[in-house]
Amino acid sequence: MTEMRPTTPAPLPQRAPEPALLRMHGMRKSFGTVVALDGVDFEVAPRQVHGLLGGNGAGKTTLMNVLYGLYRPDSGAVEIDGQQVHIRSPRDAIRHGVGMVHQSFLQVDTYTVTENIVLGTRLPSFPVLSLHDAHQRVREMSERFGLDVDPGVRVEDLSVGLRQRVEILKALYRGARLLVLDEPTTNLTPHEVDALFGSLRAIVEEGMSVVFITHKIRETLAVCDRLTVMRDGRLVTVVDRDAVDARRLAGLMVGELSEAGEEIRDDVAAVIGREGVEEADALTPSSATTTPRMVAQGVCADNDLGVEAVHGVSLTVHRGEILGVAGVAGNGQGELVEVLSGIRTARSGSIELDGSPMAGQPTARWLAAGVAYVPEDRTRDGILPTSSIAENIVLGAHRSPRFRRRGFIDSGAVRRTAATAMSAYSIKASSVNSPAGELSGGNIQRVILARVFGHDPNLLVLHNPTRGLDIRSTQFVYERVREAAAADAAVLLVSEDLDELMHLADRVVAVYSGRIVGEQSRGAYNPYEIGRLMTGVRGEV
Amino acid sequence: MTSAALAQLNRPAVRRSATSALSYIIAVLAAFLVTGLIILWLGQDPVTAFRSILTTSFRTSFGFVETLHKWVPISLLALGFTIPLLSGKFNIGGEGQLLVGACAAAAVGITAQGLPAVILLPAILIAGTAAGAVWAGIAAWLLVRFGVNEILTTVLLNFASFGIVDYIASEVWSDPAAGHPTTIPIADAGLLPTFGAPPVHAGVIIALVVALVAMLIVRRGTAGYELRAVGANPRAARVHGVRIAGVAAAALVVGGALGGLAGAIEVTGVYGKLIEGLQTNYLLLGIIVGLIARGNVVALPFVAFGIAVLEVGASAMQRTADVPNEMVLITEALILIFILASTVVQPRVGRRSR
Amino acid sequence: MSNATQFLTLVVTAMVPFILASQGTMLGGRAGVFNVSQEGVMALGASVAFLVSLKSGSTLVGLVVALLAGAVFGLVLGAATTNLRLDQFVVGLALFFAATGLATLLYKVVIGVATQPPLVPTLPQWRIPGLASIPVVGPAVFDQNGLVYFALLLSAALYWLLYHTSLGMRLRAVGENPKCADSLGVSITSTRIVTSVIGSGLIALGGAYIPLVYTGTYTDGMVAGRGWLAIALTFFGAWRPQFILPGAAFFAAMEVLALRVQVQGIDIPHQFIGMLPYVATLLIIIVAARWARAPAFLGRNYDRESRTAL
Repeated sequence: MTEMRPTTPAPLPQRAPEPALLRMHGMRKSFGTVVALDGVDFEVAPRQVHGLLGGNGAGKTTLMNVLYGLYRPDSGAVEIDGQQVHIRSPRDAIRHGVGMVHQSFLQVDTYTVTENIVLGTRLPSFPVLSLHDAHQRVREMSERFGLDVDPGVRVEDLSVGLRQRVEILKALYRGARLLVLDEPTTNLTPHEVDALFGSLRAIVEEGMSVVFITHKIRETLAVCDRLTVMRDGRLVTVVDRDAVDARRLAGLMVGELSEAGEEIRDDVAAVIGREGVEEADALTPSSATTTPRMVAQGVCADNDLGVEAVHGVSLTVHRGEILGVAGVAGNGQGELVEVLSGIRTARSGSIELDGSPMAGQPTARWLAAGVAYVPEDRTRDGILPTSSIAENIVLGAHRSPRFRRRGFIDSGAVRRTAATAMSAYSIKASSVNSPAGELSGGNIQRVILARVFGHDPNLLVLHNPTRGLDIRSTQFVYERVREAAAADAAVLLVSEDLDELMHLADRVVAVYSGRIVGEQSRGAYNPYEIGRLMTGVRGEV
Repeated sequence: MTSAALAQLNRPAVRRSATSALSYIIAVLAAFLVTGLIILWLGQDPVTAFRSILTTSFRTSFGFVETLHKWVPISLLALGFTIPLLSGKFNIGGEGQLLVGACAAAAVGITAQGLPAVILLPAILIAGTAAGAVWAGIAAWLLVRFGVNEILTTVLLNFASFGIVDYIASEVWSDPAAGHPTTIPIADAGLLPTFGAPPVHAGVIIALVVALVAMLIVRRGTAGYELRAVGANPRAARVHGVRIAGVAAAALVVGGALGGLAGAIEVTGVYGKLIEGLQTNYLLLGIIVGLIARGNVVALPFVAFGIAVLEVGASAMQRTADVPNEMVLITEALILIFILASTVVQPRVGRRSR
Repeated sequence: MSNATQFLTLVVTAMVPFILASQGTMLGGRAGVFNVSQEGVMALGASVAFLVSLKSGSTLVGLVVALLAGAVFGLVLGAATTNLRLDQFVVGLALFFAATGLATLLYKVVIGVATQPPLVPTLPQWRIPGLASIPVVGPAVFDQNGLVYFALLLSAALYWLLYHTSLGMRLRAVGENPKCADSLGVSITSTRIVTSVIGSGLIALGGAYIPLVYTGTYTDGMVAGRGWLAIALTFFGAWRPQFILPGAAFFAAMEVLALRVQVQGIDIPHQFIGMLPYVATLLIIIVAARWARAPAFLGRNYDRESRTAL
């Protein structure tokens, strides 16, 4: 077992004889008040598939975007082949032999495969665009690495799997020695995943290295030589593939360590945020009743690209019940949440709220029926950044009689409500007139909660409600959610945080690839089992 | 794209009061400085020029009345630009809306001879307002139904309106004695009452009332709330039950109605008839005012007054300092650019990126 | 000269401002900068071209200086929307105002108020031997002023540049997917500034054509909406140089028709015929909104570190 403490880069016992191809040291990056990378060290040896494992928000992609020159780090140093390098733009990264395949492909849809690949490179025929030689080279490279792509096709006509191969070819064409793949298997079929892994091995055998960003444990074990696990912007551990198993990785990744944690030191536990979150109190009497409040039957829904992302989900939430939905981002829960809060229209299936059908109704009708939604992306979907706190608190209820008087907003009522909410929800701002966009993430979430509870919700839908919040704000959210349930609301809590779900929910279902793949009830929670379900590791290990 | 425009135009209220007053002053001073340099370069005296620009409105009562009369269409068109802008849409069609409003007003005023003023005058104003609303409604419909860019459609409707004015003024009710496309006068009962000496037409009061109502609705009304919500964050507005396409379309129609009203006031208050070219450059001025006021409907009437002062002063400047009055248009564009630049430069310190 | 040839000649002559302004708009737009200052920049180009031609005695110098004046406005547009990330529409409108004012200002400063406006010689016809003898089409296309040939060759050159050079491929990528282009080392800022500069220069040249071919002098309002129509034309031409050319022919034909029908006194009020180009354009952009795909990042500023850019 080669385990490394995050802050002391002591020499490893099984140090590879060659010097590291890439070494990143003490990388820090924050976006406003959100710390995305908090002093991360990262190292990749030559001829290695290196897994970068972690949940959403762990900072994996940010770290690699820094390496690729897309984000400028606040501090930290990067060495390639033992030489310190300064990467200020992707151009620098490419020059230093770094290639990156992003999760959302950076391709020009209307260009052919070859055009996309040669874009930005200097062709021998410059300035004339003569793609004959490039075609040949692309064809030859795609054969060499088992990436079967026709260079003359427009990329918008290609499947996701093929477009990804184009991205890989793009990096290789530029002479990448270190290829970074960000969640490359997300939209691939199992067959395509196998083919990709074959190609990665071929690439490594040619002397290059690969960084494989993922949250899928089974795939990590299938292809990686060595693994770095991250959580909450910090390095958790670095291990060899042979020295670890899926159980342990699931524990490290989702931060649930009670089953596999006997070898984990306290400092690591602290780093990954175990401290401060209380154990679920099994003695808390649940207020859940057996009266169904929201019943969804066979709901199918499309994502923004028009591809079906939710495949026939059926759910029932009872009055006073907190139903947890566990899942890793991108498994359809985002679409599911929007359908169940009336923002996205379901393609098929029925949704009833207290017996009345809601599917297909306009959003305003859902709001009037007492459906309250706490969106995942607080800034994008939750607030009007330039409007005041008071105005944000009435958003959605601005047409309700409480705040409306003869076509005007009753500003007295709004201000009183906002002032009460500010003290009840401890919103830190100079006044109710402060613009919401200038608040911190935790305070923005408090504004949203104040709004949501001001509407006396019958159904409360929350999506990752504590992501990026500090412990106090997190606790605050938990208390409000419990209060809502105690007040007979039905609560649907969608989260990637297993601690959170087990802490709050009366029942947890796991989603994977747009389907419900399992269910557990309070008192019988097996976090490792849920972790396996939501990461698509089925019954193996 | 347009929400970015609003983020720049519509800075948070708190900061607006404190630092933005300063940045306004600096922008205006800088614009005048550059203008002064240009005037010097032209070989004229900037002091004389600026004195004309800034004092003509206040030196004589005629100058002041002229300023008020210019303020009416400028502030109405500026509102007609700002209300759609608050929802993130650009109404560049104020000119056409004003013109069709003027045409409708003239048509009613000429054909409905003999009606008493209490009926005729409101009828004229309503006809003008409605015509402006319909004209902008075409652009709103094209936007909602076909997704056609509203900048383009509103501008094209400006040009289309010229033909209507010309047709009415030189074919339908032409005044052959005028020597320029002009209609015969409207019924006397259709003229706006005036007060004071020199006479100020009641359109000033109408525009004041409209400005106050607009302030009230935009700031306090449910409709204004939804309007601002759509402009501030269309996604969040949609998530919270606001029908964003409907709000944007309604905003364009209301903007057009205000333009139409401005046209009707020009006909009933200033000219008493339809004259080709009565719109002068009010569209440009309205847009400039709207952009300088940055979506703030309270500041807007005051900015409009300032621009009216500059415009009245501009023609005086041409006489006294021999500087072409277009100089003022350049000054105004400079004010706008400097204010815009200050919104970027100033929050760079401590800006929160997302 | 036959009626058809005569009509065709007028159309080809009238195409040029549309071609130049629209290709200029297209060039900036393909890199993602949506210029809305055309109407003003064309007026400026007209004014500058006339004045410089008058004072220097050379229409060529006039044209070059007009092009440079437009380029300066393009530089402001490009820099303000990339380096400062100011909103493209607002900056474009401000430049439209400034250019409109400057056009008249310069004229008044140089000429003053003259009862008899001075004239400059209009551009000479250059007859291309052989080609000009082709029946019907020949005299219309190959017995024209130099800017006609320039506009046609420019369209061909832009087509070649965009679709047959590496430079063009990079340029298009900046407008389609700047994040992609950026990730491959293409500079978004410099691409956008350079195309804005050249684009605005061409737009000004389109304005310069009007006094130097039609009237020999500058008058306010002589651009008469061609700048705005050029934007519509660019949409209609699907932001492709090869479609802008026939589109410009259509717009020019509308303009010529509106004038000729007025002259021939058909029994429709001439004012309504005069509305033809604008109404036809309104109808056309409905069609264009359906089929013509604009660059995906048109009008949007690029911020590398923005997490919501895609």
